[in-house]
Amino acid sequence: MKTLPFEKPIEILYKELKRREVKGYALMGLDELIEKQIEEVYKHITPYDIVLVARHPDRPQPQDYIEKLFTNFTELHGDRAGEDDASVIGGTAFFNGNPVMVIGTRKGHDVKETLRYHSGMVKPSGFRKIARLAHLASDTLHIPIITLVDTPGAMVSAETEVNGQVSAIYSAISALLDANVPVISIITGEGESLAALSLTVSDRLLMLKYAFFAVLSPEAASSVLFKNLDKKREIAKELHITADELLGMNIIDRIIEEPAGAAHRFPHIVMKNVKEALEEELEFVSKEKIDILKRKRREKFRKAGVYSE
Amino acid sequence: MGLFNKKKVVVPVIPAESQDVRVRCTSCGRLIDYDALKKNLKVCPHCGYHFRMSAAERIALLTDKGSFKEIGSPISSVDSLHFRDTVSYAERLKKLRDTIGLPNAVLTGTGKIDGVLTSIGVFAYEFLSGTLGSATGEKLTELFEFAGKNDLPAIVVFSSAGERIQEGIYSLMQVAKVIQAIEDYKKNGGFFVSVITNPVLGGPAVIAMGGDVIVAEAGSYVGVSGPRVSEQVMKRALPKEAQKVELLQNKGFVDIVVTRFQLKETLGNILKFYRRWSL
Repeated sequence: MKTLPFEKPIEILYKELKRREVKGYALMGLDELIEKQIEEVYKHITPYDIVLVARHPDRPQPQDYIEKLFTNFTELHGDRAGEDDASVIGGTAFFNGNPVMVIGTRKGHDVKETLRYHSGMVKPSGFRKIARLAHLASDTLHIPIITLVDTPGAMVSAETEVNGQVSAIYSAISALLDANVPVISIITGEGESLAALSLTVSDRLLMLKYAFFAVLSPEAASSVLFKNLDKKREIAKELHITADELLGMNIIDRIIEEPAGAAHRFPHIVMKNVKEALEEELEFVSKEKIDILKRKRREKFRKAGVYSE
Repeated sequence: MGLFNKKKVVVPVIPAESQDVRVRCTSCGRLIDYDALKKNLKVCPHCGYHFRMSAAERIALLTDKGSFKEIGSPISSVDSLHFRDTVSYAERLKKLRDTIGLPNAVLTGTGKIDGVLTSIGVFAYEFLSGTLGSATGEKLTELFEFAGKNDLPAIVVFSSAGERIQEGIYSLMQVAKVIQAIEDYKKNGGFFVSVITNPVLGGPAVIAMGGDVIVAEAGSYVGVSGPRVSEQVMKRALPKEAQKVELLQNKGFVDIVVTRFQLKETLGNILKFYRRWSL
């Protein structure tokens, strides 16, 4: 497993553990020491460290949650305008026996997948797919929408620009704003810029403890404000991108716990936590009448922002 | 020296009363007398390059003389995150209030265009590159609410570098907030004309796509992000041509591209077809 720069103290112990295992030496409490060290390292985690954790290649991604937590998933492809964006995965499925529409982004875990899903950067056809599936769930099937977000943002290329990237993003956002069914969103990893926004317009916004949600990546922010990448760590702090901060700012509704060491080390625990949280939230929104839910959603976005009069 | 050596000169920073100032055209590189440039609506007389206009200049260009009235209360941007880059955001805001005299990056009001009463919002690029902060989002939302209540068409002239990074996630939320206001307004019979001027990027570009009619000023660029962010995200430069409105008109994303000289007339012609408005 790839160890992250801030996890150095853990890595050293892991190496020692491996050495002892190979040579058949006694562990002498080393495994407990590792556990303690992980706790210690994650206690002092910085916002930029969280960015790195959220991007860890072994971290569970939306397609993994769909595979593990949903049944009878039928993937629905295409934007009905000439393309299917592989970075967006969506379709009908059952969650705990409840029919839902699940839509997520996927980045891929290895080079092959990363290439196929173009690192989770969403194309216009992806945003149109989101809008299409949202309309299908809202107007035809009348089933709740669950979105799972892990994306470095919208793709920016000559091709995506001339295919109407901004226009496609508009259609995705307006489709979810107007959905006549409950919408629950979970940010499982990276939540960057307009692509993340287009999937987090929801009644309940949940976030994993080591996920982040930012107006743009700390790297991009640093390059805009300082014309270089040297300040990405400082900017990550200034931007307030962590789950704890965003809960305090009323941007998200709930944090889904992750053990120290994060989801890439303990995927099963995190899967279970996500499942439990989603169960509770789905029950919660199902009790609410849809017009009340929609009114609350409307008010939430009407009130968004801080300014002075 | 400095002024004449620099290739890129942003016009609004030159005081209006300064005489004998010459600026170098960003596009063709020729020197232009500033007064002549102003008389020519800040369009380069040699190559037709459209220099940026301030919000006040834009309103003077588009609305009938003396017809513009601001609406709503003054809403100011605040440093909600105690954000600091090279200087603190609070300091930046204070400086802007003192120099430009605007509390946020959009001016909203009502005015007549070729005799037709309309509500109008104009982005002020001189205020932190017209970026979309919370105050700007609130003002735009109020504009659409006002237009809906008063049965007026709504025009928004966009010029923006994107989200206001200094307001973090609050800035991103404004995109959904304004889209919600636009959709509400349109569902209740509203008519939204968005005007794209150079440049419109990020969230504001997404919002601009909500226009029932999208008019663009010649030579403008509109897209999901500017050159710096694009390069950061994709690890390679974005060909600028891809975001040019002339190309996007051919691709079907912009209704009509006009020069600055035709802009008012074009808007007037469109507004005359707004069904609730009798001439």
